[in-house]
Amino acid sequence: MPSPTPGFRLDPDTARFLMSGVSINAGAGGADGTPSLCRAFGCRVDPGGGQVAVFFSSRQAADLLRDVAHSRALAVVFSEPPTHRTVQVKGRDARVVPLAEGDLARVRAYRDAFAQCLAFLGFTETMVRTLLDCPDADLVALAFTPTAAFNGTPGAQAGAPLSPMVAPPPGAP
Amino acid sequence: MIPTRALRDCLDGVIPGVVSTCAPDGTPNVAYMSQGQYLDDQHLALSYQFFNRTRQNLLANPRVTLGLIHPQTAQQYRVHLVYERTETSGPVFESMKAKLAGIASHTGMSGVFRLLGSDIYRIERSEVVPGSTLPAQPPAVDPLLALRTCMARLPQSPDAESLLDALLDGLQAHFRIEHALVMMLDPGRDRLYTVASRGYPASGVGSELRLGDGVIGVAARERNPIRISHMTSEYAYGLAQREGAERRGLGDLLETEIPFPGLAAPGSQLAVPIPGAREPIGVLFAESPTEMRFTHADEDALVALATQVGGLFRLFLAELELGEESQPAGGREPRPDGVPLRVRHYAANDSVFLGDDYLIKGVAGNILWTLLQDHQTLGRTQFSNRELRADPRVRLPDQSDNLEARLVLLHRRLAERRACVQLEKTGRGRFRLLVTRPLELEDMDSGA
Repeated sequence: MPSPTPGFRLDPDTARFLMSGVSINAGAGGADGTPSLCRAFGCRVDPGGGQVAVFFSSRQAADLLRDVAHSRALAVVFSEPPTHRTVQVKGRDARVVPLAEGDLARVRAYRDAFAQCLAFLGFTETMVRTLLDCPDADLVALAFTPTAAFNGTPGAQAGAPLSPMVAPPPGAP
Repeated sequence: MIPTRALRDCLDGVIPGVVSTCAPDGTPNVAYMSQGQYLDDQHLALSYQFFNRTRQNLLANPRVTLGLIHPQTAQQYRVHLVYERTETSGPVFESMKAKLAGIASHTGMSGVFRLLGSDIYRIERSEVVPGSTLPAQPPAVDPLLALRTCMARLPQSPDAESLLDALLDGLQAHFRIEHALVMMLDPGRDRLYTVASRGYPASGVGSELRLGDGVIGVAARERNPIRISHMTSEYAYGLAQREGAERRGLGDLLETEIPFPGLAAPGSQLAVPIPGAREPIGVLFAESPTEMRFTHADEDALVALATQVGGLFRLFLAELELGEESQPAGGREPRPDGVPLRVRHYAANDSVFLGDDYLIKGVAGNILWTLLQDHQTLGRTQFSNRELRADPRVRLPDQSDNLEARLVLLHRRLAERRACVQLEKTGRGRFRLLVTRPLELEDMDSGA
């Protein structure tokens, strides 16, 4: 794993992208080397870009939650289907957190935005809503401090680290 | 476990799969895959396009988890895979390369997506992800019933020509495949020539493609079906083919004299080799203006049909070899009256011109020239397939060469041109030459 930039933060443009109607999938490594994988239902990036919370169905994410509890390492890929713009964000301190105020509304808004995004590609709203269906009581959030973000858009630049926005040193103007 | 049908549907769908890997230190990585291909119930292949983190990880830790979504039901699956090897040539690679070109074109990624290899994985286990789903839509055509109905007619065909008619009519009637054709392989020249078609303004019988050109040429060369759900100019026929022929010189211009009949803007294509004893004897090809028209089940059905057609062709060949001696030449028929038509034969490529019109070339051209010579000098009109096979003048390139297909081609070309020379079947493996105008035969460069 590349060494994280100290004080790494997601820039506002990347944060907006992560919270838009993009496809979100997260992975973790199992103790036996088997990767886990789960689709997410939206995310929240804290103002300042220093914390990310990703929402899952706890039933669907059982393996992912188990692996994260063991390793704390998480990779989340965000991709916009019509443009293929893809960003992968990684963290090393992922943990389950309670849903914050406004998170249920975020998940609902995410479903609307993703359905709208995919409607342009010919997918029915019913199809997308079925894919993203999950009872509120089943939702779980994984929060982490992003340590690195990569451009995953297909092409020569794929895999390149996104320029980080480094937090200003304490006391700077 | 994921049912095979569902796995194939997922890999066929437009919803990209997601690949989760992890480095030896446990750092995870998640990426989208461009293309997956079902191989058998224990293996699948994923496209390798870039040397990225996924690739670095799987070379160090071969365990991969693939997330799939069923395109109709939204059912999610996770397939746990173990990387085995990468193939950079051969049927799986070529089939994926053709498909990837279509996907790239469809998604605006032409020039970005290039297949470096087909990564072959063993399926270790799979799981159904809990969640809501939609009911599966029944297919418009029941492929097994359509196959049974279509197949039933094939063995009743007395000869190659009616067999091909039964096949293409069956595809239309039972599979609703409106655009289809059959090309046969000319192994000596590495060319495929059209012998029958349905659904095109011009039949294109006699049109040729080079082995390896487009989905038909690749399917024949790799002996593997190729199914593309989104078409791309990379595998399209037409302009590139004509330009290539022009670059290669006048001799090859005859290849484009009869235009290939394919759709100008196909959405989906499916090419299935017709198996022979060793190399394929030809290719069955279907296409549609609609994208994602052909399913795995259609491919299965066409492979079954092509296998039966290949077997029946071999049966015709065996019958020919075991058949009775040709019937007596019969009485001379009166010679036609009228203004003679000049018929030229160019030995360089065995092309035959009726007047100024190009008719045919290659082995079929040579067959016609042989028949016309015997007609002219001996007054013969009755011939048998068997004697033609043995006739050194016909110069069949190989003992396994498919004379029946050459005769189908010749018969159809003459019929389509409404030529003053026609072939008429008189029995199994026998035919009559009908000449309605006096001919002047001219061998143009026999000494060359």
